[in-house]
Amino acid sequence: MDQSIRVDPKLLVMLAVIALTACATAPEREPAARPGPAAEAKALAEAEASRPVPAGAFPPEVRAQLPKFACLSYTLPCGKVPTRQPVKQELAGPLNGDVARGTQIAMTRGKGNCIACHVLQGGVQPGTVGPDLSRYASFGRSDAETYALIYDMRWRNPDALMPPFGTNQVLTDQELRDVAAFMQSQK
Amino acid sequence: MKLLRTALLAMLATLGLAGFAAADDEIYREYFPRQPIDPAKGYLGDETWSGSVRYWKDAATLARNLSLAKDHANEWKLNLKFMDIDSDAMNSGHFVVDQGEALVKTLSGSEPDFLTCLGEGKTDLRGLGAAYPKFDSKLGRIMTVDSRVEHCARTTLRRELAQGTPDNVRITTYIKSLSTGTPLNVDIQSKPIMQAYARGEKLFYTKAGQYNFACASCHSPQGMVGKRFRGEAITSMFSDAAHYPSYRIGKGMVESMHERLRTCNAQSRTVSLPFGDPAYVDIEVFLSVLANGYPIAVPVERY
Repeated sequence: MDQSIRVDPKLLVMLAVIALTACATAPEREPAARPGPAAEAKALAEAEASRPVPAGAFPPEVRAQLPKFACLSYTLPCGKVPTRQPVKQELAGPLNGDVARGTQIAMTRGKGNCIACHVLQGGVQPGTVGPDLSRYASFGRSDAETYALIYDMRWRNPDALMPPFGTNQVLTDQELRDVAAFMQSQK
Repeated sequence: MKLLRTALLAMLATLGLAGFAAADDEIYREYFPRQPIDPAKGYLGDETWSGSVRYWKDAATLARNLSLAKDHANEWKLNLKFMDIDSDAMNSGHFVVDQGEALVKTLSGSEPDFLTCLGEGKTDLRGLGAAYPKFDSKLGRIMTVDSRVEHCARTTLRRELAQGTPDNVRITTYIKSLSTGTPLNVDIQSKPIMQAYARGEKLFYTKAGQYNFACASCHSPQGMVGKRFRGEAITSMFSDAAHYPSYRIGKGMVESMHERLRTCNAQSRTVSLPFGDPAYVDIEVFLSVLANGYPIAVPVERY
């Protein structure tokens, strides 16, 4: 937040003069004294365009793809984007995942961030939202099932909190394989 | 899909939960399972939500339970309300209140209508912030303190103080601070308010974004309340609206409620909406009704 705390009355007068001049020279750019909803919407959109992205936002390449997914707006196109339906994805060929890369993805906020909800070996400050997966290998689940559950948990549990990492393209096919390999290494 | 939906609805009915049945039929949308909430109970509705309200429902109760703040597994039970206690002490939000007060003084000094517009005819703004959001029958829409400031600047000063911009946040924070200690009192007898509440409630359960999260995915006991989300102890949304705008330690600035909603959306990989967006106004009404009866605490800090 900038620090312009004091508003000098002289500055206000100057601003008023500038505003009035602008009104006289470019009336279409200034709202009328009592603007209608259209003018307010326009002002809102302009104010929005001048705002910085919210703190905590993901990098530009991530944000660029967000309009492809549903949002809460009544008016923006993303408000009408359908939610992607649950998919039970087949694993093509052998898993070929890399445990070291999978560990990295599972512990990184901008990637899988599995540690935010699950207790896992190799991570600190785990969450407790999802089940403890630090002995996942002992669950006896196949590579294909593991891959499919990370891809989209909803085919098994429609109310799952876990993001559909494959269906919604949070992770690539190889990254999903790496995370599945990491899971199978949790002995 | 129709079969699945029917099966799901039957399942919900069996569990005694009312689903948002067959809304938006054309597009596929998922909803977090809805739990019944009685809006008339205000913040005490949390008794049948997270249940944590019994640890923070008033100052004396909160004071008795303060040791929970240092208890990793039980910290969530305080719902961060221990941070409201500092409301009389110096946190950086007070500078913003002072800036807002100076701004109102200066602006209404040159144009007294600005002040009477902010106070809807009154020049004493104390306590007025507690009734927001409210339906303005003259304007025909629901007003928040933020949109009132924007509206009054535009109509009486011919000046843009758009919602979410620094000067709007300063004045909004100042006005809300003049209601600190006053219980939030959103008019639930108002039909437009309760229509907005119903829309806001639906949005609260609507899954959106790349992570397919609803507000409720985190802020409900069936979601993450009571559990650890990495370093976070997620709050129940009951009473939260009473502490906005808040000084965010992590951001080093005061943020309005819509700034918070924009950040919530951004963090869950969902398109953030503009300040004052009708969807955000509906969510603000929903959250504010669920804070009814809880004393306003502005400015206080949050993480």
